Amino acid sequence: MNSLNTYLIISAFLFSLGLLGVLQRRNLIGMLISVELMLNAANLNFMAFNRFLTPDPVVGQIIALFVMGLAAAEAAIGLSIILALFRKMHSINIERAQKLKG
Amino acid sequence: MDALPRDPVLLATVLGTSLPFLSMAVILIFTRANRQLSSRISVAAIGCSLASALFLLITLRAAPGAIQYQTEWFSSGNFNVAFGYYLDPLSLLMLTIVAVIAFLVQVYSLGYMAGDPGFSRYYAFQSLFAWAMMNMVIAGSLLQLFIFWELVGLASYLLIGFYYEKWSASQAGKKAFVMTRVGDVGFFLGIIILVIGFGNLGIPELNTAGASHSIPQQLITVSALLILCGVIGKSAQFPLLTWLPDAMEGQTPVSALLHSATMVAAGVYMFSRIFPFFSASPEAMTAALAIGTVTMILASTMAMVTYDIKQVWAYSTISQLGLMVMALAAGGYFAGVYHLTTHAGFKALLFLCSGIFIHSFHTNDMRIIGKEGGRRLTIPTVCMTIGALALAGVFPFSGFFSKEAILGVLAAQPGKIWLYAGLIGALLTAYYSFRLIFYIVLPQGGISASSDSGHHEPSHDEEHHGYIFWAMAVPVIILAGLTLILGLFFEHPLQGFISGMLGHGSASVLLVQHTTPEAHGIGHELLLALGVSAGLFGIALAWFEFGRKDSSRTGFLSCFPSIWRLFDLRWFMDIFFRKALDTAVYAGLTSLFTKNDRRIIDGAIDGICFFTEAGGRLFSFLQSGMLQYNLLVMALGAGVAILFFLV
Repeated sequence: MNSLNTYLIISAFLFSLGLLGVLQRRNLIGMLISVELMLNAANLNFMAFNRFLTPDPVVGQIIALFVMGLAAAEAAIGLSIILALFRKMHSINIERAQKLKG
Repeated sequence: MDALPRDPVLLATVLGTSLPFLSMAVILIFTRANRQLSSRISVAAIGCSLASALFLLITLRAAPGAIQYQTEWFSSGNFNVAFGYYLDPLSLLMLTIVAVIAFLVQVYSLGYMAGDPGFSRYYAFQSLFAWAMMNMVIAGSLLQLFIFWELVGLASYLLIGFYYEKWSASQAGKKAFVMTRVGDVGFFLGIIILVIGFGNLGIPELNTAGASHSIPQQLITVSALLILCGVIGKSAQFPLLTWLPDAMEGQTPVSALLHSATMVAAGVYMFSRIFPFFSASPEAMTAALAIGTVTMILASTMAMVTYDIKQVWAYSTISQLGLMVMALAAGGYFAGVYHLTTHAGFKALLFLCSGIFIHSFHTNDMRIIGKEGGRRLTIPTVCMTIGALALAGVFPFSGFFSKEAILGVLAAQPGKIWLYAGLIGALLTAYYSFRLIFYIVLPQGGISASSDSGHHEPSHDEEHHGYIFWAMAVPVIILAGLTLILGLFFEHPLQGFISGMLGHGSASVLLVQHTTPEAHGIGHELLLALGVSAGLFGIALAWFEFGRKDSSRTGFLSCFPSIWRLFDLRWFMDIFFRKALDTAVYAGLTSLFTKNDRRIIDGAIDGICFFTEAGGRLFSFLQSGMLQYNLLVMALGAGVAILFFLV
């Protein structure tokens, strides 16, 4: 069972879970965590492909590091947006943000 | 370009004809605010042009043939359009006329226009005109001539409508522009036909081909008739003659330069420019003869009833242009060109004199000018009388000689009707010009007493001796002198000079044999006597009606109110044009275009706007502001795309 398919199935499962979270959760923090989940699913894919298909240049691992950096940046920006929204609306429920529509 | 410094003729030509353009550009861009400087630049430029024109005339007076400079402008297939200068006696003569009169008029305007808010603009336009006119005169090809012909028309439009805030002036400018354009459409069609049928627009080539009959006869006739339309428009011939009297809305010096001496003569000049070409088509020549005759008679009758001095000279210009067209159409090349020359001198003189009167009395009405003491302005009165004598064809003034030459040509025509028309024209001309002179010199009941001690006097004294008066008087005196000597001393040299071109050059020699007295049945002396007596009889009639002590000063025409009305309303030509314009253009074409604009173009654009807006409203329900719906759609879309590309 130590094959590529296992990793792919796990990562697809993780990705679907993240997507569901993003679409279904009304809490902005929860949405942010779900996005992290999706990014990690992608990371898992990169690692798996790197390990099983082209082990020699470790490009997949490098990209996984980049994605982690990106995730950190995204979390910082996302949290600051959430903070700003909270100051305005006194809530982090995404339904409140409907007021922003023109 | 490296030939420029080594060839003084080319240098003079280029300098003389392009300096006015430079001065216009400099005035319009840099020195508009400084009136003194602007006028000085312009006068200096036209002075250089005058010097180079005289230099060219003197250097090339004995040149064996025409001198031509040309460079290829563009070519398409085997059709080449050349751009260049064509210097032959005719163009040199005309160049000199234009330069002399333009220079004198610009000097005159220093006085006439002094204190006008548009002084700089005026000089810029004057320079534009001088540049366009001189380039038109020395154009080497018909297309180049046409380009500058239009530029001259533009200058005329700008100067007629100079006081654009005045309704009548802007209307007159528009009228002049549109009416001459009607003729120019014909001119342009003629050029196109020549390009298609002959394939060359060079003036010498056209003349050679016309003289040797190497173009099909039909082609010559059609294109000559079409080009004649251009002459009709520009030289205010029948039926497009009513723009010229309206063009008198422009300042008097402008009328003197553009609308009597040079610009309106451009049509006649073009006629003589391609004279051998025209004379290859007897039909076109006959048409031109008829048009010239009708114009001459109509315009002289109109001049008999108006009280506006400038209008009188305007009608007289039209009628003299008609006479020139008659002379050329009757085969009198020299007679036409000679009358063009003398007419330019004495008509500019008449206008400039009238300008002094108008400037002093602030009215155009000859009765008021006479009453208020017009004859106390001695210089313009004397000079105007000289001009009128020349116009009436009295010995020894220049008009006498050129008119006799024309009558000689007309007498050589097969039908005598042209000669009789010419004599009637001479009589009417003498009558209306001396009607004006007598109104001013011998006003009814003498000069009114009020003006003796009136408000005019102080300003008169001031103007009489001041810079303004002399700026206007000196050109007038020079022109009067020219009018005196042009006929007496210059007929034969000019004849040799002008006809020399036809002998040496490309054109046929047979055109030169026009007025040997024996050729036309009537003896030379009899013709001379007839011409002089027509003029003198006209003057006598004018004296009898307007000059005598106890004369009625109304003229015999006032006994026939309907005829008076006919003449006064310009033979109903304006009313006819107005009607034609209203029915054909405004009611027909314009309303169709308006409908097209409102219904089709506006409708289409409104429709596009309506659908865009309605579509936007229709789909705006998708935007709920809920972030997650958008994300859901995005995810679904991505999923569909993946399915589409993978499966």
